[in-house]
Amino acid sequence: MPEAVVVEASQLANLLAALQARKYRVIGPTVRDGAIIYDDLTTVSDLPVGWTDEQEAGEYRLRRRDDGAYFGYAVGPYAWKRFLHPSPFTLWRARRTPDGVIVELTDAEPSRFAFLGVRPCDLAAIGILDRVLRDGPYVDPSYRDRRDHVFIVTVQCANFSPSTCFCVSMGTGPRAENGFDLALTELLDPGSHRFLVEIGSERGAEILRELAHRPASASDWETATRLVHKTAARMGRQLEVRGLPEALLANLEHHRWDHVAARCLTCGNCTMVCPTCFCFSVEDRSDLTGSVIERVRTADVCFTTAFTYTAGKSLRQSARSRYRQWLTHKLATWVTQFGTFGCVGCGRCITWCPVGIDITEEAAAISGLTRKDERP
Amino acid sequence: MSDRELEEFLAVHPFTADLDESQRARLAKQARLAHYQPDEYLIQEGRPADAFYLIVQGLVSIELFVPGHGPRPLQTVEGGSAVGWSWMLAPSRWEFDARALERTTAVVFDAERLRALLLEDCCLGLRLVQRLLFLVTERLRAARLQLLDLYGPPRER
Amino acid sequence: MVKAAITTPAATNPFIPFPFVVMSRRRETRDTVTLRLRPLRNVRLLAQPGQFMMLSVIGVGEVPISVSGLPRRPGELEHTIRAVGSVTRHLVALRPGDYIGVRGPFGTSWPLQLAHGQDVLLIAGGLGFAPLRSALLSILRERWRYRQVIALYGARSPTDLLYRRDLSRWQQRPDLVLRMTVDHPDQYWRGQVGVVPNLIRQVAAFFEPANTIAMICGPEIMMRFTIRELQKHGVPDEHIFLSLERNMQCAIGLCGHCQLGPFFLCKDGPVLPYSRLAPFSDIREF
Repeated sequence: MPEAVVVEASQLANLLAALQARKYRVIGPTVRDGAIIYDDLTTVSDLPVGWTDEQEAGEYRLRRRDDGAYFGYAVGPYAWKRFLHPSPFTLWRARRTPDGVIVELTDAEPSRFAFLGVRPCDLAAIGILDRVLRDGPYVDPSYRDRRDHVFIVTVQCANFSPSTCFCVSMGTGPRAENGFDLALTELLDPGSHRFLVEIGSERGAEILRELAHRPASASDWETATRLVHKTAARMGRQLEVRGLPEALLANLEHHRWDHVAARCLTCGNCTMVCPTCFCFSVEDRSDLTGSVIERVRTADVCFTTAFTYTAGKSLRQSARSRYRQWLTHKLATWVTQFGTFGCVGCGRCITWCPVGIDITEEAAAISGLTRKDERP
Repeated sequence: MSDRELEEFLAVHPFTADLDESQRARLAKQARLAHYQPDEYLIQEGRPADAFYLIVQGLVSIELFVPGHGPRPLQTVEGGSAVGWSWMLAPSRWEFDARALERTTAVVFDAERLRALLLEDCCLGLRLVQRLLFLVTERLRAARLQLLDLYGPPRER
Repeated sequence: MVKAAITTPAATNPFIPFPFVVMSRRRETRDTVTLRLRPLRNVRLLAQPGQFMMLSVIGVGEVPISVSGLPRRPGELEHTIRAVGSVTRHLVALRPGDYIGVRGPFGTSWPLQLAHGQDVLLIAGGLGFAPLRSALLSILRERWRYRQVIALYGARSPTDLLYRRDLSRWQQRPDLVLRMTVDHPDQYWRGQVGVVPNLIRQVAAFFEPANTIAMICGPEIMMRFTIRELQKHGVPDEHIFLSLERNMQCAIGLCGHCQLGPFFLCKDGPVLPYSRLAPFSDIREF
């Protein structure tokens, strides 16, 4: 078991202050426009205290909790890629001058982020983005520069969305064992609101020294462990992943693709909320005089016909082919490309699909694989 | 040109190479060797379809004469291939021109005698019809691909 | 057009293009030109035949273009470009002395080493001759390393043939079998009319299928029919190499556009053996 301490809930303000004192730009959950999103946090009161989310396929709504939980929700429509892999992003800027065109980099000092409230599934998603954008033969410098400095405070999953989460199947949650600087488990008992804090790095330990804490007792550990076990046990959605890539690739002409394509609006919501979807397009933008030109990267969506536009034509004209590309990339070809699934089981694509298409249901129907009940 | 020499041509031509020697010998009896100069016609549209040509060497253009434009080549046929199948469906007339583009050598069969031979020896008949069908399929496939205008300018977005 | 020199930062960043100057421009067909480029600074972006570069018109955008020639001096580049979209329209309008940005080289190259001691069959359709030309030039420069060298080339019409000066020179070479065909001849054309796959049978006597390396580039349908014809002749799938084209925006496997199943064609391709593509080649719109 990692080294852990217990802090009172009131210490959260000190954690925030300690991060801010180290010039981190602290990003965390906050309520906006009827959803819990990630944005700059100034004070602890920016957190979604006493709020929770209810999610179903195609549905999301906020509800009041009857307690003061800081992290009493599952995941919202935002993912951390928004900050690590921002869109739009200016790759470089060119100025036309009498001496010629001068190209300059614009990303000299990217923000040093501290992420507060990273769910284990989202921590796994960052790990997946690392493999794609930082750890391969080609490195995206803007991602690397952000990622290498980011300070991560994970929140172990005592709260989740029973009908959309499936991290247990994907092996990404509800508990993170490593990859964080600090990991909180929110312990809410009558008369006691505290966090079990696991220390994942030297940086984390250093920050923690500025908070009033006591060693974690066996009963603190037991309470925390029980919470994540309960999460795992109650997770209603599941996906059989053993043999899944092969089974999907063996069924590229399955009639179910037509079935799901008839429902899919090809809106691309799933790709925008997905914490691992990384695709982007690049275009030049210039001011009216053409004297300043920016080459800009924006998030792109494989559900558009333009995505495969090649020498005068789109290679994936049908909705069927575009949905198939997305799903087989997430659950099959990603494994060949990067050694992991491109899915962490966060369930966002299910919640935010306007017609409630469920990736687990489609993958099971197409692969023909059903999951044996493995609940603890 | 002796039958013997013709048989030797038939023995190496892809169209007849894998027939039995006896079958080739019977075919050779109906055949003659012909030479064509560039621009000389083997076949002309509208004339009776009275022969079958195995091209030994050279290049032959299957074409139509377009008024105001001249000969319009549609496909070319090279040594190792064959020209003409209208003779199978007698009595019939040629529907296209076949013109030598280079000095061309062909083994030419008299259609009437060939038809008679194929009816007489149905086994040989079937084997030749299979080869003709292969030829027709190949030409049709090429024509279909040409219709697609594969290398044309891409459609504007 | 960029008439003035381009200055770029010294920092290494894969998205920053290097400044190049257009040395010469040769019109190939109505909508296609070949540009020779020279680096402005002392950089050498050394591309192998089959690889591609990202060519930038600053303010318009960037496109992937294969190298179509060999450098006369180290660091030079040669590209054949057809005006199709907004960036390529700008590229074909460039004149000697104009500046452009270049990133690269990217992707896999033609298997020239593998072809040493083998018969080589280069099969091109339309603009697909551009990436194969660099392979052919490279092969002819070290002709002794290869056995039979056969080049088959299909174009839309005689006026759409690329590299006409090369073609007439190559036709004279006794150590190269070159066959051309067009779909739509004009009144001056005395050559073959028809599709490229039909040329394979004509040259069958020149290659030994089991010891042949085939390299194909052209429209997808042309490649499909060509592969079938090669298979009929007994050329093994792992000896059939294709150069594939897809939307590419980053060229370094990060933007996701060029995926074909497990492959990012920008880094795993554009040249791949058919044996690796076969599982996906009959899946429509994959």
